[in-house]
Amino acid sequence: MKRMSLLALAAAFAAAAAAAQEPIAIGISIAQSPPGSVVQGVQVKDGVEIVKDMINAKGGVLGRPIKLIYEDNQGVPEKGRAATEKLITRDKVVAVTGGHQSSVCLAEIEVAHRYEVPYVNTNCWSDDVRKKGYAEVFNPGNYNTRVSMAMAETIGAMKVKRVIAFAENTDYGIGQAKLLAEFVKTKAPGTDFKYETLDRAGKDFTPAVLALRANPPDMVVTMMLPPAAYIFMNQLYEQGVAPSAKTWFYDGAGIADYPDFWQNVKDAGKYMISFGLYHPQMPQPALGKEVAAEYTKRTKNEPNRLIFQAADSLLLIVEAIRQAKSTDPKAITKQLASMKFEGVRGAFQFSSAREPAYAYQQWVDIPYVNFQLTDVNQPVSKANLIQGPGQPLAVDKLQKPK
Amino acid sequence: MLALDLLVNGLVFGLFYALMAVGLAMIFGVLKVVNFAHGEFYMVGAYTYVLVATRLGVPPWLALPMAAVAGAALGALVERLLMRPLYAGYGSWSIMKDEYAVVVTFGLSLLLINVVDKVVGPYPFRGPPLIETSRFALGPVMMNGQKLIAAGISIALLTGLALFIKRSLWGRQIQAVAQNRLGASLAGIDATRTTALIFAISGLLAALAGALLAPLINPSPDVGAFPAIKSYVIVVLGGMGSIWGAMVAALLLGVLESFFAVYVSYDYRDAFGLLILILVLIFRPQGLAGEKGREV
Amino acid sequence: MTGGAGNLWSNRLRTDFRAALAVVALLAVVPLFVQAPYTLGILVVSIYFALLALGWNLIAGFTGQFSLAPAAFAMLGAYATALLDFPLKAPLALGIPAAIVATALLGFALGRIVLRLKGPYVALTTLSFAEIARVVVYNSNAFTRGDQGLNVPSLMQSRVGYYYLFVAVLGATLVLLYLLMRGRAGRFWLAIRDDEIGAESRGINVVRYKTIAFALSCAICGLAGSLYGTFSQLVSPELGLLSQTGLVIAMVVIGGMGTLTGPVLGALLVYLASEWLREFGGIQLIVFSLAVIVFARFFRAGLWGIVARR
Repeated sequence: MKRMSLLALAAAFAAAAAAAQEPIAIGISIAQSPPGSVVQGVQVKDGVEIVKDMINAKGGVLGRPIKLIYEDNQGVPEKGRAATEKLITRDKVVAVTGGHQSSVCLAEIEVAHRYEVPYVNTNCWSDDVRKKGYAEVFNPGNYNTRVSMAMAETIGAMKVKRVIAFAENTDYGIGQAKLLAEFVKTKAPGTDFKYETLDRAGKDFTPAVLALRANPPDMVVTMMLPPAAYIFMNQLYEQGVAPSAKTWFYDGAGIADYPDFWQNVKDAGKYMISFGLYHPQMPQPALGKEVAAEYTKRTKNEPNRLIFQAADSLLLIVEAIRQAKSTDPKAITKQLASMKFEGVRGAFQFSSAREPAYAYQQWVDIPYVNFQLTDVNQPVSKANLIQGPGQPLAVDKLQKPK
Repeated sequence: MLALDLLVNGLVFGLFYALMAVGLAMIFGVLKVVNFAHGEFYMVGAYTYVLVATRLGVPPWLALPMAAVAGAALGALVERLLMRPLYAGYGSWSIMKDEYAVVVTFGLSLLLINVVDKVVGPYPFRGPPLIETSRFALGPVMMNGQKLIAAGISIALLTGLALFIKRSLWGRQIQAVAQNRLGASLAGIDATRTTALIFAISGLLAALAGALLAPLINPSPDVGAFPAIKSYVIVVLGGMGSIWGAMVAALLLGVLESFFAVYVSYDYRDAFGLLILILVLIFRPQGLAGEKGREV
Repeated sequence: MTGGAGNLWSNRLRTDFRAALAVVALLAVVPLFVQAPYTLGILVVSIYFALLALGWNLIAGFTGQFSLAPAAFAMLGAYATALLDFPLKAPLALGIPAAIVATALLGFALGRIVLRLKGPYVALTTLSFAEIARVVVYNSNAFTRGDQGLNVPSLMQSRVGYYYLFVAVLGATLVLLYLLMRGRAGRFWLAIRDDEIGAESRGINVVRYKTIAFALSCAICGLAGSLYGTFSQLVSPELGLLSQTGLVIAMVVIGGMGTLTGPVLGALLVYLASEWLREFGGIQLIVFSLAVIVFARFFRAGLWGIVARR
């Protein structure tokens, strides 16, 4: 307790001193209006805000506070390009981060590369972001190959015969579906795998679901984001296709921990198996637990991986500035490429390998889990963890509806 | 059986489309202009329902008529403030009539979308369903409770509308004004008030459609684009101005879309309707039931 | 000035043209005072919209065909250039003219489709065409990379150079439109707008002039889109969104429909205002849509119309 109040006092002095200095501007490009994923944008914002407050409370970095400048990219590549251009040329940010929708990231990294400003990719999964091989781009988040490989292994371990996957018709969805098809061939050779694309702006997917009803597969996989994901899930449930006694339901987009998930799907989410990047039972550094507690305090919700990814994104930039002792974008880029980092999800270093192309400046061994929701309104912390990080799948823990 | 499932699903959605489109058909029948803010009547109805039910705690069955009232009020307001110059004796307007209607309703659409976005927020909401049963079997077909009730209410409303137009005094006044505005007013009918009534009905129906579908299609500020485009297709397919044509066209579109999605492509399902619109205008411009000649 | 109504119209047109040129001249001297790349970039985008506005004004304001496809044609022009570059590595010297030709042909085809339609039917048909085009581009992942968009090379590295390119194209477009409007084509288009049946009965070849107007209007939009694609180095389906068309329409209505200066003025004002209003938290669309309604209802001549009438 005494240590806390001393810390608070020191923080107050440091904050006062830092306030007198010119703030360091960092650009955050997120979706704050449709057709972008606003839910994701809000979570990214929550994550970086917590870290910003923590850092500024300790006096900022290099004696200067950090300032976050937000731009709304609306989930549209063209707007992302314009937003990044504005952040770099007008607001003179030293780094850009926050990207959470793959097609937008792909447009934004072009701008970052052109102006040689570091870009920390918070949540764009598409391998293409890495494959471009731009020195300015850093990827502390998940990538499609990782998910697809993990999902293929799960499919293999569960020994399902027929799988039909539904992906949204975006770069992310189609990319993940194609990779999954490839990996299933090697990791689950006995499985028949097919995928369909659905319009992410669609409002009724019942015909697609009805086609399944005629000949139900053993597993339905989805790689879709809300709101289409919720509509699709509800219609799958309504027609009794999945989750059902015959058919598993496996989500590869990680939507189970979105704050509006249960409110939108209700019964349809029970028995859903989910690929996840965060589960409270995963080992987590003290800083991570601190951020988690602060998030719950601010929003009354449980944290999810977007919060942590966003937190790490900002921490990476700040740490690079501190280690490089400079706010010059090129120096930050250089530091990010080589430094060892311990953030809210663990310690890692960006890979410098150019082969395979998706590994470039990526946290290659990012931990993941698989879990199953066993009750309506169940928070992820209470969900049934069927695969911890680095462990084999506990097939016997899986439940099927009666 | 898949075909039966698709047929039922198509008819159910067709009913919803009909509810959305009929109001637009009426406006076109009378004013010969397209209301490009029609989708926003739907959106306002959906939001009224959702907000009243979730923020004010009003039970869903009560929120439904409140949404209807909101739609009617919006329709009447639009007519009074924006559409009246088209016919209430403003002489020089006749040449640029169509352009005015398109521009002003386009602007209104943008305005409504952005006001709602700013005031309520861009998150999609989920409307509370009228009945909690999310699935049950109806013969060989699986149904959602909300869908069934919504379909039932749609049938009731559409039938009610048809009877109203055919039998009631106001309905016949509407028919008269639609056929010949000048003649009707010479016969003593207040054409302006009748037009206001039509706009109110149009708003009411669209808003109810929005409210009924709110639990199925989570409303967001731009949700109006979806019913709007469907409505345009239906009104053209059915024959501009014909309410019967619109109803039949709506059912037809629902069924065709359902089958198209499965047997041709899921992605292009919504664009399919637009293709129908163009083809109809090229090859059978009067639609299924409308008047001949595309001269307005 | 003595003479009949014809002289009055040519006088008005000439004043209109001179005013538009004055605006272009003003734009041309901006870089002498402002060199910040971000500001010049904003102006480039507003000139892009000015070109779209001029294109739409030609088909709607001058010829009376209420098309809802200008943004879609900008998108098609941009993709024409991008597609030639992406798999075929065609140089931009080929890609940009190809965009003009492609959109002119498609515009011609669209013109023939809506030939016999009037009023809202034209709007509905062009709307469907625009949406279908956008959805097809979005979903043809194999060719267009879908929502990711395509990367386009740049014509030049210099921001100032790009700025002058756009200003030059704007000027050239205005000159072209002025020459056409001053001559027979312009009079025929106006006649078609004001009274199509009457025009036909007076022997005007309505079919030919309508389709020419469509082709030219769409070509202007296509050129604008193609140039913009090389400027932003990214073409994506969002270029063709209906809301973009809505923005263009708003610009022309506010600026003054049926003139040359109106669209240019409207585009510049609306786009610059929208940048400025962004500071106040995204109310720009509310402001513009209100402005559109108010102008359409009470100030049908638009800003330029009010100024010109003095």
